[in-house]
Amino acid sequence: MKRKTLFWAGLFALLAIAGAAVYMLRGAGTVAVVTVDGQEVDRVDLTAVAVAWEKTYTSERGWNTVRFSPGRVAVIDADCPGHDCVRQGDIADGAVPIVCLPHRLVIEIVD
Amino acid sequence: MSKTKKLVVMALLTAVELTIWVIEGQIPPPIPVPGVKLGLASVVTLTAMKLLGRKEAGCILLGRIALGCLFAGSLSAAIFSLAGGALSWCVMSALVGLFPEKLLWVVSVFGAIGHNLGQLLAAMAVTGTPGLIWYGPALLTAAIITGTFTGLGAMYLTRALRAYERRQG
Repeated sequence: MKRKTLFWAGLFALLAIAGAAVYMLRGAGTVAVVTVDGQEVDRVDLTAVAVAWEKTYTSERGWNTVRFSPGRVAVIDADCPGHDCVRQGDIADGAVPIVCLPHRLVIEIVD
Repeated sequence: MSKTKKLVVMALLTAVELTIWVIEGQIPPPIPVPGVKLGLASVVTLTAMKLLGRKEAGCILLGRIALGCLFAGSLSAAIFSLAGGALSWCVMSALVGLFPEKLLWVVSVFGAIGHNLGQLLAAMAVTGTPGLIWYGPALLTAAIITGTFTGLGAMYLTRALRAYERRQG
């Protein structure tokens, strides 16, 4: 019994550390890619952004206003019901994309 | 357990799970990764699976998802809940008989991984963005941590409820 507990605890600990490592190592990248409904609509090099600017992406499902800042990008307003994308705030690396599910909008940072 | 009593217990557990789920939704997530939450509601699902059975746990889960979407009120939330819940239920149903009660947390971890995987696949399908798979490792780590704690919670709750049942005769 004790051996089994140790086995599973060890296995899960390893997996958890591996997952966290992959997540943290995948940080590089400076280009924000905006995708709406599976179609790439914009590609912005965030290192080339000197002064923050905003752009609103509208589809038949709704709109999202995105702010591109030096090295960072965020959804600052949207008419979706949940506002998960707005609450996420700025992203500065490729670890986690911003996803607005109701509007099928995805912002990723790639190399 | 009589049929009537079983129905009452199931209704009660559905209400408990719904309450936990709604309250948990109001607490800001501990880390700013969308989709990561404790999943405390799964304590109830797993406990129901141990005490009542797989089918009953599935009914409670479905009831909670249906009612939860009325409260949270969006269709995309429903797709997510269903995708995660269904996969998590399948995984835990398959494994719950294979592990002793002391290792219930292992079942819970696999269930949590199934839940996150289901949600991730749903997100990839809905947005048409396969690149979201890169989000997987973070969700795996989150599932292992949260699954361990909800699993331990379910184990203690199962024991406590059994002891209570015995005292009642």
